[in-house]
Amino acid sequence: MKNWKKLAEATDLRIPESDIEGIAPSLDTLESAFRPLTKKIPDDIEPAVTFCMIPEAGE
Amino acid sequence: MTIIEAAQALRQRAVSSAELTEAALKRIGELNPKLNAVLTVLEESARSQAKAADEELARRADRGPLHGIPIAVKDVFETRGVRTTCGSVIFMHHIPDRDATVVEKLRAAGAVLLGKAGMHELAYGITSNNPHFGTIRNPWDADRIPGGSSGGSGSAVASDMVFMAMGSDTGGSIRIPAAFCGTVGLKPTSGRVSRYGVMPLDFSLDHMGPLTRSVRDTAITLEAIAGFDPRDETSSKEPVGNYVPEPGCSIRNVRIGLPQNFYFERLDPDVDMAVRRTAAAAEALGARIIPVRVPDIDALNVVGRVILLAEASALMEKYVDNRDQFGSDVLALFDQGRLLPATDYVNAQRLRRMMQREFAQLWSRIDCLFTPTTPMAAPRIGDRTATLGPFTEDVRLAATRLVRGINVLGLPAISLPCGLDRRGLPVGLQIVGRPFDEALILQVAAALEDSGIGIPACQTAVE
Repeated sequence: MKNWKKLAEATDLRIPESDIEGIAPSLDTLESAFRPLTKKIPDDIEPAVTFCMIPEAGE
Repeated sequence: MTIIEAAQALRQRAVSSAELTEAALKRIGELNPKLNAVLTVLEESARSQAKAADEELARRADRGPLHGIPIAVKDVFETRGVRTTCGSVIFMHHIPDRDATVVEKLRAAGAVLLGKAGMHELAYGITSNNPHFGTIRNPWDADRIPGGSSGGSGSAVASDMVFMAMGSDTGGSIRIPAAFCGTVGLKPTSGRVSRYGVMPLDFSLDHMGPLTRSVRDTAITLEAIAGFDPRDETSSKEPVGNYVPEPGCSIRNVRIGLPQNFYFERLDPDVDMAVRRTAAAAEALGARIIPVRVPDIDALNVVGRVILLAEASALMEKYVDNRDQFGSDVLALFDQGRLLPATDYVNAQRLRRMMQREFAQLWSRIDCLFTPTTPMAAPRIGDRTATLGPFTEDVRLAATRLVRGINVLGLPAISLPCGLDRRGLPVGLQIVGRPFDEALILQVAAALEDSGIGIPACQTAVE
């Protein structure tokens, strides 16, 4: 499992150690459920988010 | 009394909007100290709106079925000149200079805005146990949560304070309080109802919809609030339909999918029984019950959690260093989101696309899907785990397990009260439909309601 405490420190998130300990089990569970799913994504699948072009002024 | 009944009484001059409004204010005065459902009561402006509604109706300037009807909106909807807190101390003094599109539309429909409903802090949780504005309570049992995050909306509608209250739903936040409080609650299709002027929890999972005491009241409200809004980039141009089911509407030959996997696993037996009994009632009305296997909903929920954690934390990034401003449950979720890598977020959105395609294949075989809304009735305030037969499960994860995935898919879903458990607490049926087919799920729900599926009025509401 990931070392969430070191990860928080490395990214300067300033999350107190006791709070990291509190959330680590949830993150571990999420990590173990999510990681295998990512292996199944075909290369040609794009994210389900849309980017909307904003027309330039005067158009 | 429902919106339809009140609207009829208004037009028959059997009652005035001013009288409905005074009755609602009296009700709030009596019950709100106990339930804490309404955060801000707008007595003066509500009286003035009611007076104007009566004058318009007297000169036959009729704005439709919501004209003169007292309502509330969750305190996530911006209201011009009226404090909008999002249940957070950060926005304790936020007074918007605009109305949300939904509020604009409800005002245009003549509704009387009686107040702002309380909610879980920042709409990020299911208990509505708010550390800044107090605990919101369930009118069926004041020692139990009303659900959330639209807990004030559910509590206010079930206790007869208002006829309708708007909610928002990112991972079940309309349907969960609807199920726990015994009201109808609709999460429309993504893009069907504008998000403009609604304080966001999440960019791609938020949906706006009503909680009411009847299916047709929900349909009436949807007709008033649905439609394209150029101020919301995700708003759809799909035409708005006629949503209010005809009296005596039929569901003959409607194909109802009953999941053989996931949705009936780990349930309170009373919930299982109530939902299956309702499916049997639908079959007796002529619908066809079709057993189906649904795609991997556990995986869908995991994807939904990654997206929500990442988007919500991104949204609140500028506030989180001041940790004292947040309740511990909400802060823990923000911390989790900040620790997820960007690649996980992108891959969650890719998985979302895959799962939308997988789920869409179901619609060739069925017209709608029946599931329980929640695996159990309302838990007690402070409970961290729920016991579901032989299983014990975290309350938040259990309450969102059957509803969260539908937000990831963007599908319309309604929660309909379908029975009481052994303690006399409401149980909800969730009906999920095709994209933009709100009319069908409302029709099915109305036919069931017409046939007697439902629950008695909440005792708090009739005391």
